[in-house]
Amino acid sequence: MEPVVRVTDLVQKIGKRIILDGVNLEVYKGECFGLFGLRGAGKTALLHILAGIDRFRSGRVEVLGYDARKSERFKHRLGLVTQEKSLFQDLRAAENLDFLTALKNASRENCYRVIERFQLTDYLKLPVTALEAGVYQRLALACALLNEPELLLGDDLFQSIDPASRHIILRELREYLACGGTCILSFNNMDAYSKTDLYSIISRVGWLEQGRLTVYQPGEAREQWEDRLKSFAEQSGELHA
Amino acid sequence: MQNKVVSSMLRQCLAVMRREVYYLWRDKGLRKILLAGSLLGLLVFYATYSAQVLKGIPTAIVDLDCSRESRQLVEDISNTENLKVVANPGSFAEVEELIQRGEVVVGVVIPENYAKSVSLRRQVNLAVIIDGSNMIYATNAANTVLAITGTINAQAGIKTLIAGGMHPDQAREAFSSVTFREEPWFNPTLNYAYFLVLALALNVWQQCCMLTACMNIIGETGRKSWSLLKAAGVSKFMFFFSKSIVQIALFILTVLPVYYLSFNVFKLPLACSFWVFLLFTLAFALALHATGTLVSSFSRNAVNSTRFGMIIAVPSFILCGYTWPLEAMPQIVQQAAWVLPQTWFFQGINYLTFKDPGWTFMAPFFSALLVIAVLSYTAAALIASRS
Repeated sequence: MEPVVRVTDLVQKIGKRIILDGVNLEVYKGECFGLFGLRGAGKTALLHILAGIDRFRSGRVEVLGYDARKSERFKHRLGLVTQEKSLFQDLRAAENLDFLTALKNASRENCYRVIERFQLTDYLKLPVTALEAGVYQRLALACALLNEPELLLGDDLFQSIDPASRHIILRELREYLACGGTCILSFNNMDAYSKTDLYSIISRVGWLEQGRLTVYQPGEAREQWEDRLKSFAEQSGELHA
Repeated sequence: MQNKVVSSMLRQCLAVMRREVYYLWRDKGLRKILLAGSLLGLLVFYATYSAQVLKGIPTAIVDLDCSRESRQLVEDISNTENLKVVANPGSFAEVEELIQRGEVVVGVVIPENYAKSVSLRRQVNLAVIIDGSNMIYATNAANTVLAITGTINAQAGIKTLIAGGMHPDQAREAFSSVTFREEPWFNPTLNYAYFLVLALALNVWQQCCMLTACMNIIGETGRKSWSLLKAAGVSKFMFFFSKSIVQIALFILTVLPVYYLSFNVFKLPLACSFWVFLLFTLAFALALHATGTLVSSFSRNAVNSTRFGMIIAVPSFILCGYTWPLEAMPQIVQQAAWVLPQTWFFQGINYLTFKDPGWTFMAPFFSALLVIAVLSYTAAALIASRS
């Protein structure tokens, strides 16, 4: 089966600092790939390259069968939720949806559908700057799903959001995956993630550290993390105490 | 299939344009500047130059002769429209002090034995002192004094000829055989308001427009939402083209009330057709927007872009040759000035408002503005696509 994402020997530098140092990755259709790494590990850099936002130094990146360096056609079949609040700050919630519906050539029906599914009706008239973190993230994901993307990239989707919004987002992600969608979700808190339902739908976890990506099964990744925590505790003398 | 592509492109264009309207309208500071800036400028400048010509320049006359002739001279000076005698000090030193304190701009000293010297046809030295610290005052005062002294000289000459035995009519004819008839064309009363008010208001307008244009690219690429736009695969050309249409339309909309007030309410001169004038303004709006867009393409952030834009827009009015002739500037400054769209615009509006020189004459002005627009947009597109 042809992968939805194929990354080969990807190198990315910012100034002299190496962010990604020969990353290799393949993500297949219907898969939910977890991208784990501590802050500054390069998760956002990798996701932005996959979304065609940033250029990269070397390597090869294929998304939905297109070479990311040569074509932008894959972008029409892509959805992205960024870590930073990147919705249009000068627009209201409804205007953001409306604007992105037009930019992504999505149908009005899709727009109404995401409003309903993400329970956004009460917030449509509010400026996005006035939305709480959870509602904002629901709106951001709704915008990302407007064009029914084949690949969804989510950068730290669940950071600091309320339980109700978390529940809605999880439900919609499951629905998206059940309909054959593929997603790559980044996160930086293994403890929090391994306790959520989301962890159960992640098929593999890519651990990004010092520019390199190591792929684990979710259980293995959690064990690795716990070992790492023990090692930190031993080094700090916490266990002996 | 092609229709679908065109209709989706049109839908995107309209969405970007609508969003740009929201963006410009909701930026309260920019909205106020754009809507009120140039109008306020026009009102303030019109009020400033409401006198239209400079009259009643404060003048002091020292009459050291106190003769009938010297009193006649004082009366002649007092009767001129442009000078107003406000003091009659007793000495040159007092005049000097009055000028130092700024109480008078012109000082005239009639020497002792003035009447006697005139009657003996000897040379008389009348001292006329003009405060040169204010150029406008000084120029007007100098012109008025020149006119008075010319008349006095002529009268003295006629008297001399009569005293020499010439018939009074012949003497007068001798002095009026060569006449200099001054005919200031296009602005016969040398009205300051006609010359300056519209240009100053348009200077404010072009600065406001430059502020907006400077945000065209960096205002998007410098925001976090740029990631979403890039990830959506939106054509940069389509996006900035749609934004630019809204901005240029806004520039024209904001100048319309200025033109309405100028030409219909304040009755400032407009020699050419209004539509030609508006077309010329549109050409300038394009060139100005392109320049601002170019600035916004290479600036690192919005603040820097605004600074660069203002560095161009603020001195451009001085450099454009409207208030000080370009020909009097050093060659290198002249060459730099012709690169600026403001130079072509302000030179052009001077011709259009006062003279209407016709299409053939104005064609280079239109062409230059369009060339600046094309070059600046091209450079901006190249820079933006590489960054």
